[in-house]
Amino acid sequence: MTTERICVGAIAGSFGVNGEVRLKSFCAEPEAIADYAPLYSEDGTRSFSPAITQTTKNGFVAQIPGITSKEDADALRGISLFADRDKLPGLPDDEFYHADLIGLEVVDTGGTVLGQVRAVLNHGAGDLLEVHGPGLKASVLLPFTRAIVPTVDLTAGRIVADPPEGLIE
Amino acid sequence: MSRSVWKGPFVDSYVLKKAEKSKESGRNEVIKIWSRRSTILPQFVGLTFGVYNGHKHIPVNVSEDMIGQKFGEYSPTRTYTGHAADKKAKRK
Repeated sequence: MTTERICVGAIAGSFGVNGEVRLKSFCAEPEAIADYAPLYSEDGTRSFSPAITQTTKNGFVAQIPGITSKEDADALRGISLFADRDKLPGLPDDEFYHADLIGLEVVDTGGTVLGQVRAVLNHGAGDLLEVHGPGLKASVLLPFTRAIVPTVDLTAGRIVADPPEGLIE
Repeated sequence: MSRSVWKGPFVDSYVLKKAEKSKESGRNEVIKIWSRRSTILPQFVGLTFGVYNGHKHIPVNVSEDMIGQKFGEYSPTRTYTGHAADKKAKRK
């Protein structure tokens, strides 16, 4: 499943008096946020092409074309920035964007639906898919390995999982 | 002060027993453990442990570069998922 737009950052407020804004990046490499321009507001009505001018403690300072005063910059505070999914570079086999995995349906090898992927976690011992479903007492964490997740079908929006004993209660 | 070398790495005995039993059976299973303080030993490589974080058992696939660390390091007690954005997951 491919979402059309992905949240990659947010405008945290103004910086200085010349219309610069403070930019928060949610990207794996924070400075990559500028590469995904134009960025859109959540409703898609406004687009921004921020140019990073400097870094700050909690993010970046950027100049957005058309924003020339502190008042204009303050008005943008809190806006989430979305990038087109197509702007993200292609990945090799067995590598997936979290945004593509989240929301996929998880079925076991027998075809029984286990639930949906809610999040992708990594605590240092490999990626884990957090699966929530109506038939599950609590969320299940599936290690994202070829043995446990043999099939990831993005076009069909489905993951086939072969969870080991003891993983699902 | 670090642990004396002559003592060897600390592992709760039940973890060793469960790991040996699982290796002998050769079954694909998650070994549930509560011992976050146990050291990861070379004989644990390839096994999957469910390490308790006070709430649930977090699956930990033991690989070679984890030897010498403690199980608890891979099972955080507080989590924050954050935004997906352009983050990638690699299937091993």
